[in-house]
Amino acid sequence: MSALYSTILRSLATRGRLLALGALAALAILLAVVVRTGSGFDRADSAFHVIDDYGLSVLVPIVSLVFASAALGDPAEDRTLVYLWLRPVPRVELALAAAGAALTITVPIAVLPVVIAAAVSGVGGRLVLGAAGGAALAAVAYTAVFCGLGLRVRRALAWGLAYLVIWEQAVARIAKGAARLSISVSTRTIAARLAHHDPLPRNAMSMPVAVLVPLAATGIALALTTRSLLRGEVA
Amino acid sequence: MTSTIEIRDVGKWFGSVVALSGVTFDIGPGVTALLGPNGAGKSTLFRIMCGQANPSQGTVRILGQDPRGNAALTARIGIAPQQEALFEWQTAHEFVMLAARLQRVPDPSRAAVDALAVVELDAGDPRPLSTYSKGMRQRVKLAQALVHGPEILVLDEPLEGLDPRQRLGAIKMFRALGEQGRTVVVSSHVLDEVERFGSRILVIAQGRLVAEGDFHAIRDLMDDRPRLLRVGTDRPADLAAGLLLAGVVQGARVHSATVEVETSDAPGFRRAVAGVARSTGARLTEVVPLDEDLESVFAYLVRGR
Repeated sequence: MSALYSTILRSLATRGRLLALGALAALAILLAVVVRTGSGFDRADSAFHVIDDYGLSVLVPIVSLVFASAALGDPAEDRTLVYLWLRPVPRVELALAAAGAALTITVPIAVLPVVIAAAVSGVGGRLVLGAAGGAALAAVAYTAVFCGLGLRVRRALAWGLAYLVIWEQAVARIAKGAARLSISVSTRTIAARLAHHDPLPRNAMSMPVAVLVPLAATGIALALTTRSLLRGEVA
Repeated sequence: MTSTIEIRDVGKWFGSVVALSGVTFDIGPGVTALLGPNGAGKSTLFRIMCGQANPSQGTVRILGQDPRGNAALTARIGIAPQQEALFEWQTAHEFVMLAARLQRVPDPSRAAVDALAVVELDAGDPRPLSTYSKGMRQRVKLAQALVHGPEILVLDEPLEGLDPRQRLGAIKMFRALGEQGRTVVVSSHVLDEVERFGSRILVIAQGRLVAEGDFHAIRDLMDDRPRLLRVGTDRPADLAAGLLLAGVVQGARVHSATVEVETSDAPGFRRAVAGVARSTGARLTEVVPLDEDLESVFAYLVRGR
């Protein structure tokens, strides 16, 4: 496990990716500073929007997409996956190592900045709690999903972006049924409920359902990734 | 000979593109060469043998087992794939040690040093693999394939990019591994390279097994094929007629200053052509074989089936 994990982690952590996405993360904190120091608007509401509309809807999904889709996608693309895959290693270990490596980068580059932004905006501990809960579960679920996507399709970045924009940010926000299959709506619900923010996001569900959705997405995605690795045709 | 690799009627297609069709053979311990032009299906066959790809039809048995989804079997196989990409930031020692670790070799670091020594690379080299030449990459790939002492070695074009001395060393190594009782399958698209393996040769072209035998059998097969030659002369029509009359060519196409002839007896043609030219009063300016390249040899073998 550790050899797979550290190899994938090192492959993922390229300077370009870290710098570009680190800048996206810095933007979250910058927005929080603006909320804290500015005046003439509802500070609590604005602070929540920074977390909700930028942190959970843009930063966490994009950072997850970039690293998770590359975790198995890059080695599948340049065919170095064969050096990890053609070994007597349980397939689920490879799937977990890839997701774990991606998450190892996504947590400090996306989850942590969202939490810091919540703290910096200075509207209280509930928002920090909401930001942490929502961002953490979103990062885990997106990472699991995009790991599998990177393995299965070429140009996973483009497909992942299309999925985020069309499904998570449009369909699930409008259609109530779709919201129950949305990592975005469920994790934004978690953030809003933990932060005691009113109003709740559109199509928000109860807390147990909101927690179940990202966990189920994670489990299913990891199972599908493992199955793909079992079947071959990957490296 | 007991077979360690059994391929039965294996076919593989991607949509309407047929990569392999009806391939059947057995391979036992020792060195076996898989000879064929680029794009013939050698790599696809290797991928199927290692369980990386699934055949569309037919069965594959490696050491008696189906390689499909068989992670445990990969402990007994070493593969050096054709692609050049490695984990570029790693040193050679790190890269080979990773393979040893994942193969659960007891002392991965030691095993990596030993495997790199076999391919004459320095395990202490601090440079990352991104600085390595093609030949060095080939040897790193060989080392990671060898590091766990597998019973079966599948090496895809392992001599490409090696200089002549390294080539000789590699061939010696393949033979030594074969003599240890391992099954070594080496692909190549160069006949003369394969000659020195001193091994059985399987010829694959356009996704089909078109010939098999030792080097001499394959060479004879290639020499026996009809040849196309261009004969330059000042009297092409007369020369063509004379050659046909002499029965040393089966066909001739007359151009303004040349004749293109097809013959199934190239040595006989060479002996006869000067005499025919003299008796018809034609002056010969050139006799050039037109299809000496390996591609046309393969094309002939494919047609012959």
